[in-house]
Amino acid sequence: MTDKILIAFKSIGKNKNRNFLTMLGIIIGIASVLCILAIGDGFTHTMTKGMGNHDTRNKITIAYEPTTDVSTDNGFTDNDADILSKIPGVNRVKLASSSAEASAKASYKAKTTSIGLNKQPKHLKLVKGSYFTMDGSDNGIYISESLAHKLFKENAINRLITIDGSVFVVQGIYSIGSMEYRPDAYVAKKTFKELFSNQIFKDQAKLYLEAGSNKKQIGKTAVKKMKSLGEQKNTGKYSVSNPDAISKQFTRILNDVTYFIAFVAGISLLIAGIGVMNVMYITVSERRKEIGIRRAFGATSSDIRNQFLIESVVLCVIGGIIGIIFGYLLVSIINAFLPFKAVITGYAIILSLSVSTAVGLIFGFIPSNKAAQSELVGLLKEE
Amino acid sequence: MLKVTDVGKAYGKFTALEDINLEVADGEFLAIMGPSGSGKSTLINILGLLDQSYTGEYLLEDKSYKDVNDNELSQIRGDQLGFVFQNFKLLTTYSVYENIEVPLIYSKKAQHNKHELVADVIKKVGLDGKEKNLPSELSGGQQQRVAIARAIVNRPKLIIADEPTGALDSKTSKEIMDIFTKLNQAGTTIIMVTHDSEVAEYAMRTVYIRDGHLYNDEKSVKNHD
Repeated sequence: MTDKILIAFKSIGKNKNRNFLTMLGIIIGIASVLCILAIGDGFTHTMTKGMGNHDTRNKITIAYEPTTDVSTDNGFTDNDADILSKIPGVNRVKLASSSAEASAKASYKAKTTSIGLNKQPKHLKLVKGSYFTMDGSDNGIYISESLAHKLFKENAINRLITIDGSVFVVQGIYSIGSMEYRPDAYVAKKTFKELFSNQIFKDQAKLYLEAGSNKKQIGKTAVKKMKSLGEQKNTGKYSVSNPDAISKQFTRILNDVTYFIAFVAGISLLIAGIGVMNVMYITVSERRKEIGIRRAFGATSSDIRNQFLIESVVLCVIGGIIGIIFGYLLVSIINAFLPFKAVITGYAIILSLSVSTAVGLIFGFIPSNKAAQSELVGLLKEE
Repeated sequence: MLKVTDVGKAYGKFTALEDINLEVADGEFLAIMGPSGSGKSTLINILGLLDQSYTGEYLLEDKSYKDVNDNELSQIRGDQLGFVFQNFKLLTTYSVYENIEVPLIYSKKAQHNKHELVADVIKKVGLDGKEKNLPSELSGGQQQRVAIARAIVNRPKLIIADEPTGALDSKTSKEIMDIFTKLNQAGTTIIMVTHDSEVAEYAMRTVYIRDGHLYNDEKSVKNHD
């Protein structure tokens, strides 16, 4: 075997230029394969590390989403939390809100409606009314156009509105653009904190689990329980919310890019393989005399086939190694522009070497076979 | 050593060999003489197990190899036969040592003392000190010595030489023939093809080939004409 590898190196060395050009395709192909793998691995690595920060390992989030506009006072209640915490495997339950909005009931005269309420934002453009500096004692309120329409039909400014028993004066009206989200009303920061902070709409229940418990199973059980026992089961939907969803979508886009580059690398390797095949054909026909001599002195046809096959593989593996070096340099350059760090893993190197070996074997096979099956008598007449 | 009975070979309509009968004893040195195109090389290819498509029967050491598979045939060639060619047929990019080593690479026997075997035959053919030279750095006579060394490194029972002096001057030819004579005296059977009657004189026996037919003496060739 060592004999044959040495023979291969020798005859490759004899035609350095020709063989280097042949290797070029492999070098490019392998370098791109390595880059793809490095970027993919780097991304996955960064993603999973980022996930670790959120500590999703022992936590499930159950989300509540109202199905009607009429909506509710609250998503999850303390009763719900109690039910959830009794599920086996759940350590404790924390209710949270994806927005800081409170839900309340607003009424004017006989009309009552459920609204979402929040503290006054820094920037708000009013359609009608005047800006006021809100401090704690102030009972001013801004309401949305739709709420104003619902309660007052017309001229809402300076009218009194009762929200959960407290009386407010409508100071301004704002419109909600089709692309933005705003609650139905804003009150002063301090007022909000004093009166409504315990009414913040709890649309998330975070379940902290005991170590080693079955996330998926508990998630299912929790949703099932809420569907039958949850206080808002008739007005909304419960589901297990998946924090991986966003990264999944990103991964999918990255996968598409990866497939594209892999396609390019595949074509590059295919062309490289054809180059290898071509050069092996030339080598075989140039060395008919050598084949004849070896055959006359005891080489079997499989000895000859193996000799050329080894030569083709050695050629491709040399190309592969150079490709890996190039790929490494390329990854270093790419890293300067990437938001995450592409990493070359041992697995990627092994895969690259396997791919180049495979190219050598596949595309060297036909020429080697031709060499092995040449008629002996004719071979010895060659000069 | 070998026995050929009614062997014939045709290339399409052209008959290259017909009714060849020949027996070679162990330790014999046989010369086959004939002009070019007479069928010498065709015969020698059959005797050397390089060409298996012939009619009739050829027994080497009482065994027919006609239906033997390629692998076994290669092994017999490597272990029992040694070839010497007119144009030396050396591997030009390999050193003297590496050329001589070729049959050992493929041989099933003698893997451990390769180096000794090569060194031994290099001494036998008088090429000491040339191990690392390339064939192109040697004279024709020296190149043929390399070829002889390669042919005998596996200690074959039979050496087949196809015009071994065809490319050499008469002085060098004599040196090469002396080597063959020595090998023969040491017990190796030799079959040599030549068209040079001076060279044929080194052999114990000469047969003549003309238009695909074999004759035991020169007189019957002339009768045939």
